[in-house]
Amino acid sequence: MKNILNKLNKTQGVRGSMVVNRDGIIVASDFAVDVDEGAIGAVSSSILGALEAALKRVGLGRFQRFVIGGSENRIALIDAGPSLLLVLLANDVNLGMVSVELKEAADAIRQKATL
Amino acid sequence: MGLFGWLSTWSTNRKVTQLEMQLQARPTPGLYVQLAAAYDEAGNPQKAYQVLKTGASRFPNAVELNKLYAEAEKREREAEKIRLQQRIQTHPNPILYARLAELYKLSGEMDKVISVCEAGIRAFPKYGGTYLVLGQIYLERKDLAQAREKLEKAIELDKYNYMALKLLAQVYMDLNMPAEAAKKLEDILYFAPGDEAILGLLKKAKESAGMAEPAEEAPAGAMPPGRGRAAAPSSGVPRGTTTITGRKTIVAAGRPAALGAPPAQAGRAVTARDRLLGEGIARLRAVEGVTGALLVDSYGLVVAAELDPSIDEGLAGALITNVYRTTSQNAQKMGVGAFEDGLIEGDGGNIHLLLLDDLILAVFASKTVRLGLLEKSIREFAAAVSGAR
Repeated sequence: MKNILNKLNKTQGVRGSMVVNRDGIIVASDFAVDVDEGAIGAVSSSILGALEAALKRVGLGRFQRFVIGGSENRIALIDAGPSLLLVLLANDVNLGMVSVELKEAADAIRQKATL
Repeated sequence: MGLFGWLSTWSTNRKVTQLEMQLQARPTPGLYVQLAAAYDEAGNPQKAYQVLKTGASRFPNAVELNKLYAEAEKREREAEKIRLQQRIQTHPNPILYARLAELYKLSGEMDKVISVCEAGIRAFPKYGGTYLVLGQIYLERKDLAQAREKLEKAIELDKYNYMALKLLAQVYMDLNMPAEAAKKLEDILYFAPGDEAILGLLKKAKESAGMAEPAEEAPAGAMPPGRGRAAAPSSGVPRGTTTITGRKTIVAAGRPAALGAPPAQAGRAVTARDRLLGEGIARLRAVEGVTGALLVDSYGLVVAAELDPSIDEGLAGALITNVYRTTSQNAQKMGVGAFEDGLIEGDGGNIHLLLLDDLILAVFASKTVRLGLLEKSIREFAAAVSGAR
């Protein structure tokens, strides 16, 4: 897991990433900046619950990804099978460019988790 | 402007730019204070307030910064009260009454809260937000009968309102009616499954009522709140764009009026703002690949909507508010700062979220939507809403 995150974190605009399970428990983490990893893991679980309910009730299918834009940074929550991949991104990141790397990392995590 | 005036403006602007660069590189409480002072000097107190607000949220233990923020907040609140009173005179809409009442509440002027809410209810009796504020005040005053009446009315108008349902559950608990409280809390779990605070309250309510333990999450086939109380939208009937002014239907972009919509509220014409929001939402809905759009206020009430007839707009509003509430409450903890926008992707389509001052815009789109075109349309809508404030 750590290798997948290390590789992802080399992408321009990526400030760190972590893998949590669906209960918000941290599986692996690698951040270059100072963040409260425990808090991120814990809140990801409640956000996921709200997202899954919204998508299901309005008929938009299964959750795939949520990108939050804030005043300081962005964060992407990406479905990775039994886990969630969380990636902290710089606010000026080109999401189109980084999307390929995010998807590759999520696929690799999903594959590893289901082995 | 004379040479001295020009030089003074140039010097202040230069100071602002330098401080902003320093803040970006290495933020400290002192730099936030200096930047706010520079904006004040430049004659921009609103920007100064914003800077202090950001700084205070970033450094909650910095004494001087937080003291200045508290003072600026008080000044801003007083200025906002005057702005709202003027807007109510010239361009009345129900949200203005609810916001003014909230401001009086923050200053502890409870009698004014009640009189503003009552005026708001007289002008816009079909808007739930004002009943909600009033219910909250009566609950704080321990006037449980009045609180119950107002909150039940708020829910009658919007059965998916998280805050109204939660407060009413509390009123029922205080009135020793735990079974009724449990029902309201279960209603919340329909659109906010897994909400830990609600699950905790539900557990207590069920224990008091001698009922079984609550399920962790609302089951897939769970009934929506207010089972049978509110009619489901009639399928196949275009609903048009509805807005909060008495839930009137705005005939926007040539769409037919909603056949099932309640009659227009007596005594109030559709305001220019309603029309602007309704038309803006209809324009967004017309973008190729967009399947619906809706605007929700800070009380979780739908301000304007253009949705597929199969989707209940109240429920969609509650779901969006729930995502927004959960995300914005935690954005700071996640290191993103204050929430600004979001993109939720499901395998059957996307939801684009944008915070517009105290409104939340949600645009539902298929996976094939042209993102550039949609973003342009959203920006245009945001500019129009901002211009109308």
